Amino acid sequence: MLKKIDNYRHIIPKEYKKGMLIEGMIYADDEMIKQIEKDQTKEQVANVATLPGLVGRSLAMPDAHQGYGFCIGGVAAADPDEGIVSAGGVGFDINCGVRLLASKFEHRDITAKLQELLNQLFRDIPCGTGKKGLLNIAKNELDNVLLKGAQWAVEQGFGVERDIAHIEEYGKIPNANPKWVSNRAKDRGHHQLGTLGSGNHFLEIQVVSEIYEEDTARHFGLHKNQIVVLIHSGSRGLGHQVCTDYLDAMQDGMRRYGISVVDRQLACVPIKSKEGQEYLQAMVAAANFAFANRQMMTHWTREAFQRVLGNGELDIVYDVCHNIAKYEDHEVDGKRKRVLVHRKGATRAFPKGHPALPEELRDFGQPVLIPGSMGTCSYVLVGTEQAMKETFGSSCHGAGRAMSRTRAKNETTVDELMKEMNSKNILVRGQTRSGLTEEKPDAYKDVSQVVEVVHGAGIARKVAKLLPVAVMKG
Amino acid sequence: MKPGFTILEHPADMGIEATGETLAQAFEQAAMGMMSIILDVSTVEKKDTRTINLRAGDIEQLLVKWLTEILYLYDGQQFVPCSFSIQKLSETNLEAKINGEQLQQEKHRTKLDVKAVTYHQLSIKHSVNDVTLTVFLDI
Repeated sequence: MLKKIDNYRHIIPKEYKKGMLIEGMIYADDEMIKQIEKDQTKEQVANVATLPGLVGRSLAMPDAHQGYGFCIGGVAAADPDEGIVSAGGVGFDINCGVRLLASKFEHRDITAKLQELLNQLFRDIPCGTGKKGLLNIAKNELDNVLLKGAQWAVEQGFGVERDIAHIEEYGKIPNANPKWVSNRAKDRGHHQLGTLGSGNHFLEIQVVSEIYEEDTARHFGLHKNQIVVLIHSGSRGLGHQVCTDYLDAMQDGMRRYGISVVDRQLACVPIKSKEGQEYLQAMVAAANFAFANRQMMTHWTREAFQRVLGNGELDIVYDVCHNIAKYEDHEVDGKRKRVLVHRKGATRAFPKGHPALPEELRDFGQPVLIPGSMGTCSYVLVGTEQAMKETFGSSCHGAGRAMSRTRAKNETTVDELMKEMNSKNILVRGQTRSGLTEEKPDAYKDVSQVVEVVHGAGIARKVAKLLPVAVMKG
Repeated sequence: MKPGFTILEHPADMGIEATGETLAQAFEQAAMGMMSIILDVSTVEKKDTRTINLRAGDIEQLLVKWLTEILYLYDGQQFVPCSFSIQKLSETNLEAKINGEQLQQEKHRTKLDVKAVTYHQLSIKHSVNDVTLTVFLDI
């Protein structure tokens, strides 16, 4: 039933499933589409297409895999008047995202001190489950974090003013309202500010191993053999609880608004409804928490570099959200229109000239950061006009998991994993042994293949490839 | 069948299949299953008790709320539950006592963050002798 359009695009026609109101589209090559068809991804893309008031297509990026309600790697845009907002369409880890920092060092400069640097980062940045942050802020101060995001962190001395321009939405999404963030969410969040978390979240020291677009890379502040740092983290328990709270409220709301969904995890309400508006204001508050979180970890990373290497200058290349819903202007049926774009495991990929980009990036386009898995490469890409035309300015967000945690753990021992990482000259520190094996490199899809599809389809272009040299896992 | 739980595989996350002679036992086992994903439960002592009362629109929502409540005790109040006793359970109401202690980083061997409890493929099946429920967690 999938209709292949070209080597990278597959349409799910409306006839595929009863109730589909728009088409679905999956970005994948022939090999990946076979993998994607093995799980529920296609069904989930079709399920999303049944939600009221969506425009364009229900999309799945090439890193797509089965999620809850929406697939991971899913993108969908809703009409602000007729459409719905779905907490499941953003996911539990609101504004889980990545931030890339460019250092002044080349690989050879730091080799001798790499272990010491990793140990220092491990001491300075709290990671792992249950870990408390280094500053226990008062709950009323937390409201300022939710309102101001990364800007709050910079005001507190965690960073400098110029950091802000290199964060999506300048690190502070407007219209946040802490009033709609429950006390439970605040309880889960206030002691976790500035913590990495566990699971697939990480901080990696990487080296730029290849450059594909010299001009763009230079403009992003990247060159071959340079040491960079990639931080992957989100809104921690605060964001998880916001999603949980509104999934619950939306279960009740659907009864009131007469909406029925094929999967309860797709719970949604009209954007204009009271619950819809409250969710959106709570969700952006959680997103701002995540921006502040990554900003604080950036500060401690700089301090660790300063202490061990004598130079803590690390410039933010960019910081992107993976899980978010945002009002943006896009062309729909030939007309410019404001829509609410849900991205769940997808990255904004705006092209050059877009007014949302800071002036210094406007001649090149938005950096799109694609983390791989521990032991494999990551990529920096740049957004394109093509993405604006067909994916609401979106691209993929990572490798995408290919193997369950249990299988990953059963297939490899920690010793085997460490041997493999040693053979690649990658240092690793993790909070737990089992956590490391669950994140082994081949538990993920081949990130290079994912990036080739994105590049081939033209929804982002390759700029640079990064290889890990030291990995810190929660 | 003896009450118990098994951890289920999922491409990105984890699930729990919990069994009990009664629905209440299956709920208790699901809670044990979730805590076993978060940490080594054998490192937790029963020093303190929490009483909880929950209300929901239906039994599936009640199961999600039950596990979410336990997650909140751990993540929001730093209280680590290690044993669960459900006093009353209907389709829409639950009363339970939960034993455990305050989280201590140096004592409790923590493993993974559980982000949330989902409705994904959630099922509650009654047979003649037992109840089996399945619930997936976002990791």
